[in-house]
Amino acid sequence: MAKEMVAMLLAGGQGSRLYALTQNLAKPAVPFGGKYRIIDFPISNCVNSGIDTVGVLTQYQPLVLNEYIGNGQPWDLDRLNGGIHVLPPYQKAKGSDWYKGTANAIYQNISFIERYDPQYVIILSGDQICKQDYSDFLRFHKEKNAEFSVAVMEVPWEEAGRFGLMVTDDNDKITEFQEKPKEPKSNLASMGIYIFNWDILRTYLEEDEADPESENDFGNNIIPNLLRDGRDMYAYHFKGYWKDVGTISSLWEANMEVLDPENSGIDLYDDEWKIYSRNPGMTGHRIGTEAKVENSMITDGCRVNGTVKHSILFAGVTIEAGAVVEDAVIMGGSAVRAGAVVSHCIIAENVEIGPGAIVGAMPSADEAGVATIGSGVTIGARAKIGPSAMVDTDVKEGEEKW
Amino acid sequence: MVNSNANALGIIFPNSYDKTMPEMTNDRLMASIPFASRYRLIDFILSSMVNGGIDNVTIMVKENYWSLIDHLGSGREWDLARKNGGLNIVPPFAMRNQKVYGGRIEALVNILAFLKKQKEEYVIISDANIAVNFDFADMIQKHIESGADVTLAYANLEGPKTLPDTIESGRDMYYLVDLDVDGRVTDIKINRELSPGPHDLSMNIYIMRRDRMIELVHDAYVDGGIYFERDVLLRNIKDLHIQGYKFSGYFAVIYGMKTYYDESMRLLKNDNLDALFEGNTIYTKIRDDNPTRYIGDPKVVNTMAADGCVIEGEVENSILFRGVKIAKGAKVKNAILMQDTVVGENTEVRYVITDKNVKIGRDQKISGSQEYPFYVPKGKEV
Repeated sequence: MAKEMVAMLLAGGQGSRLYALTQNLAKPAVPFGGKYRIIDFPISNCVNSGIDTVGVLTQYQPLVLNEYIGNGQPWDLDRLNGGIHVLPPYQKAKGSDWYKGTANAIYQNISFIERYDPQYVIILSGDQICKQDYSDFLRFHKEKNAEFSVAVMEVPWEEAGRFGLMVTDDNDKITEFQEKPKEPKSNLASMGIYIFNWDILRTYLEEDEADPESENDFGNNIIPNLLRDGRDMYAYHFKGYWKDVGTISSLWEANMEVLDPENSGIDLYDDEWKIYSRNPGMTGHRIGTEAKVENSMITDGCRVNGTVKHSILFAGVTIEAGAVVEDAVIMGGSAVRAGAVVSHCIIAENVEIGPGAIVGAMPSADEAGVATIGSGVTIGARAKIGPSAMVDTDVKEGEEKW
Repeated sequence: MVNSNANALGIIFPNSYDKTMPEMTNDRLMASIPFASRYRLIDFILSSMVNGGIDNVTIMVKENYWSLIDHLGSGREWDLARKNGGLNIVPPFAMRNQKVYGGRIEALVNILAFLKKQKEEYVIISDANIAVNFDFADMIQKHIESGADVTLAYANLEGPKTLPDTIESGRDMYYLVDLDVDGRVTDIKINRELSPGPHDLSMNIYIMRRDRMIELVHDAYVDGGIYFERDVLLRNIKDLHIQGYKFSGYFAVIYGMKTYYDESMRLLKNDNLDALFEGNTIYTKIRDDNPTRYIGDPKVVNTMAADGCVIEGEVENSILFRGVKIAKGAKVKNAILMQDTVVGENTEVRYVITDKNVKIGRDQKISGSQEYPFYVPKGKEV
């Protein structure tokens, strides 16, 4: 059966700026918001928007992601016709290739898209935190009779130069595209989310592939080519919460914003737009007799007997009595032992913070860094980790690391 | 065939002991009573079977089973959505001149044809009013080694102090077992008045060969038998080799509001919680709630809470199920609040059990006592 629109989710990003967090997993698999991974957002958006066919393009460290997505059941995407499919680069009769760029990743999977004979293809990015109704985006695309549409966000003019910008006329028609310009003519930043008419996308992917000079990238090659040919291109204004969590500080910030949905705009307590995730199957969390919990989010399997302020604890985190956790993001299975002080930091999965250790520091005038501890690391008793440190190997008892 | 699974099928009786909890089983059955912040009672025995390699489970529902069917769905969450075997829910069979069965023999007679067609060599039967992480693989193994006709799981525990008066004597209560030195059951005493202190009581979990069970159930039925323990086990106690299997792990048997309350509260000790959950995973229906949110400085101590709660008020010694909201100034103590309960501003709640979707307005005071926790029925607005 033909599908109206198929989603292709780019999830191959290495996330090199998240370094210690992405040693063993791709950026879209990075845990977020207490019980999610980043990729839960675009996948849940698809399901909530009525899209039931999703291709996930993986490349870098795909093991965690593959296992996490599995048959797609947590997102209700285990379907007979359609469903979610992980699409790694594969060997073909005429050789094989890594995905050379975002456009090439889609090009190599033309035959996947063809199976569903769609009218439209939506290209999504696997490293953004955003609740978005793609069906409204498609409505816009159809209303404008567009061949290509891109979702854009208004950004402050002084920051516009950091983004790919769409210059539009009064009818939202795109007249020019500027990639990270010195002199921005627009403050409409591309969110990297595109809807194409499938025939147009196919044509331009094939043309792009034939060009040996091309970087095979949507922003650098496909969009300029569409403009060159005067295609009907429109910019769809998205006004909700959107965050590219490509850096430690933006990831930390986005997590903190989850704690304040009334002001930040990212509300996970929304029955109308649930974000689905794979469930670890743990009991309800326990708050002990000596615990003190303020302004925090805590999920299944946690054992809290220390002080937790303004922090997010993922599944199965232990905070022992006497430990103090503040402004921290602590991922699944990690433990903070008695008397440790953990502040303003990100602690990855299955980390052990020894008794009396100090990790990170609350921001001061000259130091506002977010300390980061990579997954599986053990921080010895009374060790000290500075506020800007990024630690991906064990730290011995009493040692300091800055 | 490669035998990667247990060579046994499971049969669960989800309505057993319903009558000991008339309040909570008004429109549900024992098996779907919420327990331990995010589970239903059936999750424990069902997950234990799955974790023991049993992938063919029949649920013999009798009445009030809509909530259970909704909870179990296709059995996917327990990995029981299968082509072969999987989850099999059998509704009662009644006709104009034939009433719905009373005891388990009558129930099993209805599925003898089904049982004859199965390929597993053994059958395990169990009630669902028990929260336990039970090692069925071990029990099957012990059963085979002993060469017994039937193996009966029992535990040494304090019996019920009084018989709830809703119980007709002779059924649905507790079975005291006498064992000889080899662990063979020599007598089963039904609803015997018990001296204080622990006794060997049946857990109502049995294993036997499938063909043997078909024979025993058929013969008992022909003789007018109704109840499995009385009319199969006790009647044949001399001829059958009934072997005891002592279970010494953690478990909670639920009969009546008081045991429900006490067994729930017992899980507020981490050692007990660990003992119940540290083995294999107990599966349940997933609701996809967000994590629980603590707003401001709500003073929460010694509490177990599932996901989806929003807590702004004080909570002490309590169990909160999924989606519970506790407003500012509210004080919740020694309470069990089931799914989506709302406690309004400045409301005090002590020794209370609220069922699903209870809404308690602001400035209220509701309290029961440790002996008689106050129960607020499903959907009630106070």
